[in-house]
Amino acid sequence: MKNKTTLQEIANSTSGWLMGNGPEADVVFSCRIRLARNLKGFVFPPYAQPFVLKQTAEKILNSVRKSNYFRNARVINISELSPVEREFFLEKHLISLEFIKSEDYRFLVVEKREIISLMINEEDHFRLQSIFSGLQLQEAWQLINAVDDELERNLDYAFSPKWGYLTACPTNTGTGMRASCMLHLPGLVATQRINGVLRGISQLGLVARGLYGEGTTPQGDFFQISNQVTLGIKEEEIVDNVGKISRQAVEEEKKAREILFRKNKTELKDNIGRAYGLLANAYLISFEEAMDLLSKVRLGFSLNLLPKVKNIRVLNELLFLIAPAQIQIKEGKELSSFSRNELRAKIIREKLRE
Amino acid sequence: MLCQICGKREATFHFKEVINGEVRELHLCEVCAKEKGWDKPFFMPGFPLSNLIASLTDIEIPFPAEEVETVRCPICGLSYEDIKKRGKIGCSSCYQVFEKYLTPLLERIQGKTYHSGKIPQKGKVKNGLSKQIYELRKELKEVIKKEEYERAAEIRDEIHRLEKDEK
Ligand SMILES: [Zn+2]
Ligand SMILES: [Zn+2]
Repeated sequence: MKNKTTLQEIANSTSGWLMGNGPEADVVFSCRIRLARNLKGFVFPPYAQPFVLKQTAEKILNSVRKSNYFRNARVINISELSPVEREFFLEKHLISLEFIKSEDYRFLVVEKREIISLMINEEDHFRLQSIFSGLQLQEAWQLINAVDDELERNLDYAFSPKWGYLTACPTNTGTGMRASCMLHLPGLVATQRINGVLRGISQLGLVARGLYGEGTTPQGDFFQISNQVTLGIKEEEIVDNVGKISRQAVEEEKKAREILFRKNKTELKDNIGRAYGLLANAYLISFEEAMDLLSKVRLGFSLNLLPKVKNIRVLNELLFLIAPAQIQIKEGKELSSFSRNELRAKIIREKLRE
Repeated sequence: MLCQICGKREATFHFKEVINGEVRELHLCEVCAKEKGWDKPFFMPGFPLSNLIASLTDIEIPFPAEEVETVRCPICGLSYEDIKKRGKIGCSSCYQVFEKYLTPLLERIQGKTYHSGKIPQKGKVKNGLSKQIYELRKELKEVIKKEEYERAAEIRDEIHRLEKDEK
């Protein structure tokens, strides 16, 4: 990228939604809503010629520049980014896996706090996203709805009264909306109740996803609940459903944490204390190990077992800071896996001492 | 357990997906997970794109194959055959041109075929017709609930008439 400092600035600032100040933030890591929108009369990006992508990008950027919500926004041309730089934005939840491989006339627009962002010419002409800390889907919806209204003033959306917002993929047609909550469920995993709970709370039109099981590459017990259906349902209903089910998962997770605490208090304390000890004192640490240990420490913090950790924000920030591309962008160069492990350990030691 | 993609290496990434109470699992080795970009699931919550699009190719279309290949959208130039292959629709006018194929498809993917959510601000002001159709559809839902089938039939006719006008 031409402007390395922009990236480093982004790497050094904390996303607004990582503050951990939302309700139920010790279980609900983040919640987000994205809206898929297309412009009337323009071929959708999967089939569009470069000159069409150029036109749609200009139209959308023009509308973005007139929007108050994007006054402090950065516009990033994806095609100018190196693979590590693209990975960096992927890790920050700002671009998608598809977007990472994209070519000319693809842009990321992101306002300073990273609460609101926009991918231009991904699968749809644009995708608007809002992320909040904790369980705040209502708030995320109110904000993104207002931003959508403002952007629409200067754009003609592809919309039909029958099918709603028209999207490149029929799985998004209608509201074009995906609402999701990222849940941290170490209690349900440890008590082996995760399967039953996910099955029990899952309901028509919703989906829960995660990594699990014995011998799994540790990734920290994170699960995502989101809506599957986008047509024939109101946005508010989607927000309501995903929110309700997430709240149920939160309650189940809290119960599981209590059970863990009551049944195996000493074991649990030992486990969490060791995890903290490793993190606070290691000099070489892989991403997977760090993720796994941070998940335990996060659990320990919510059970008040780690007086040394002041707030959840430190742990949330760390979960991101340890990712491979974050480390390399912060450092300003590509690094070997050994150097990354070394730097990662240093970042964690320093952050835990803050 | 072996990786479900390569069938050679030991699977260390075990994905779980619960949709409508049904648990689906996907087991991948590290190499294949990396290749798919699913090796850091925390950072890409969209994974693993449950292959809904498979249903695009699976769905039986009760229309002559010839038509599926020759009828093309005037804006993007695609045939329904092209759309099926890629799993993506070409442009907003495809939705009109291929309405008879897309209606059963959307019904299968989404369970519904009518939008009931937000409408663009501009649509509300500028496009009075769309607004009218939208309102009628809401009314239709209500009268069906109340089992007023005669009134429902009337509303349905009115919607069809307006939809024709709109085209
Ligand atoms: Zn494999
Ligand atoms: Zn078309």
